[in-house]
Amino acid sequence: MKALQRFSYPIFFVMLAVIPHLLNPRWQAVSITFLIFAVVALSQDIILGKSGMFNMGQALFFGMGAYTTAILNNHFGWPIIATIPMAILIPALFGILLAGPIVHLRGDYLLVVTIGFNIVFVQVLQNNLGGLTGGPNGIFGLGSLSIFGLNLTSQIAVYYFAFIVFLLTLWIMHNLEKSKAGRAMHYLREDQLAAESIGINTRSYKIFAFGLGAGIAGLAGTVFAVQYSAVSPEAFEFIQSVLFFSIVLVGGSSVPGILLGVFVMFVLPEIFREFATWRYFIFGFAMILSMILRPRGIWPATFGKIPKFLIKESKNGA
Amino acid sequence: MDTFLQQLANGLTIGSIFALVALGYTMVYGVMRLINFAHGDMVAASAFVGLTVYTQVMGQTTSLFSVIVIFLLTASVMACVGVLLERLAYRPLRDAPRLSAVVSALGASLVIQNGIMLIWGPRMKIFPELVPQVYWDLGGVVISLIQVIILALSLVLMVGLYLFIEKTRMGAAVRASSIDQDAARLMGINVNSVIALIFIIGSSLGAIGGLFIGMYYRGITFNMGWQYGLYAFIAAIIGGIGNIPGAMMGGMLLGLFNAFIAGYISSTWADAFTFILLILILIVRPTGILGERVAEKV
Repeated sequence: MKALQRFSYPIFFVMLAVIPHLLNPRWQAVSITFLIFAVVALSQDIILGKSGMFNMGQALFFGMGAYTTAILNNHFGWPIIATIPMAILIPALFGILLAGPIVHLRGDYLLVVTIGFNIVFVQVLQNNLGGLTGGPNGIFGLGSLSIFGLNLTSQIAVYYFAFIVFLLTLWIMHNLEKSKAGRAMHYLREDQLAAESIGINTRSYKIFAFGLGAGIAGLAGTVFAVQYSAVSPEAFEFIQSVLFFSIVLVGGSSVPGILLGVFVMFVLPEIFREFATWRYFIFGFAMILSMILRPRGIWPATFGKIPKFLIKESKNGA
Repeated sequence: MDTFLQQLANGLTIGSIFALVALGYTMVYGVMRLINFAHGDMVAASAFVGLTVYTQVMGQTTSLFSVIVIFLLTASVMACVGVLLERLAYRPLRDAPRLSAVVSALGASLVIQNGIMLIWGPRMKIFPELVPQVYWDLGGVVISLIQVIILALSLVLMVGLYLFIEKTRMGAAVRASSIDQDAARLMGINVNSVIALIFIIGSSLGAIGGLFIGMYYRGITFNMGWQYGLYAFIAAIIGGIGNIPGAMMGGMLLGLFNAFIAGYISSTWADAFTFILLILILIVRPTGILGERVAEKV
């Protein structure tokens, strides 16, 4: 397993790095979509999988990032690259502000409140609040990505932009797992009471997880806005949050599991286009079946440096 | 004043539909600690089943007899679907981590919603006019026969359910199972049949709610279940989850709130205001207005 991990990741990254040159434009677009949604699913994993908070509103932060880029570019004429810090900061700030009053809520209540945030957000976009969001049609005609006067309009350039964001996210997740914050979040998920009793400030780590997950999702939103050169409310509907939520749990909250989930949800439908109307019907069955057969996910995550005999004890925990 | 009374009448009508649907959520949550996300889609499905019963079985007649048959047949079909759903999607996960059951419920919701789409098509269908369009003008406030029927029948059903839960042996078994399943089992209660019973009751009440939605709004779509399901679930939370009178009160409150928002502010903001209300209630009083009646397992 260790050897497999050592070689499989570099091979996977090299594959992702060369793949756009081998594909036609349609499949390049599909791969970009894969990378964007993979980043959002990983950011959802920080909140849901790693910290165990039932968040079903991740599309909100994703959409907020996309809309931040679109509004700043379209209404205020900022270059895309300059909107990136704002597209990370604004969702992160909102994540912190929204999480503040609700993180103490028990699982299912948190779930419903985050659904609520997502629905309020979409309704605000649709009602064109402040004349900025463009109503139900959204905003279209964004500028293209350019760095140091270099105009990166080709799809391959957008692909590498998405790829860099994806690598950055994986790097953050990898470091998080080995950091103090990551360990705190893990204990928090396993047993909040125990975590509190050994002096972990659960409240601030929960809010931290929301802020971090929201910021990463916002960055993915920028890539989304660049790729489609448009944003509209239906891309951030609550059904999208349901998909990210399911991907993390069906995948088992591990990187390979989540990537597999994103692949199945967003790439397979492109391959089997003639079954488009059956898509969610089949996914629904797949979700039920995978949970019955593997309740902890298809590829359950193992946590870094905890000795094996300790992990065994908590196997039955929720 | 006229707007107020008119929205009061409209609010009580939708409120009783929300309350009927909310009962299904709250009973299932009370016993299984599971948000049955598929419940909203079952409500939507029952409107379509009712439509099919009307055209295929009753030959498009609208006598009192055929209305009764449509209600009974639809409710029994949905009760069977509910029991089947529990048996196939939820029972295998009863001892699994809680989130697994949530994902399974979401999957079941997708299956039912898209099953409706595959069977009846993605376009809006028009529900038959089962009740003659009679209106009474009470000094500027218009009340229709259908509103009176919805309100009266919902009240009868809710009172009936309340008496059943509070006064009968089976009702006591339901209450016992929602307090502590293991202890209930030790007292000789068959928890599996209690769960089957709440799925039968919840699904049939939801089915009647779905038929009411069809009769009141006329247009039915395959994906309307999410909307009503979420509202009803909010109603259950506002009333305190697991709390049966609470769900009834929460449904009525939410219906009134919605009607007044639509009447005085704007219907395009109704969802947003509803959720803001929910969020405020949960921040101030995390267990709903009447308090929840589920025992917390630590």
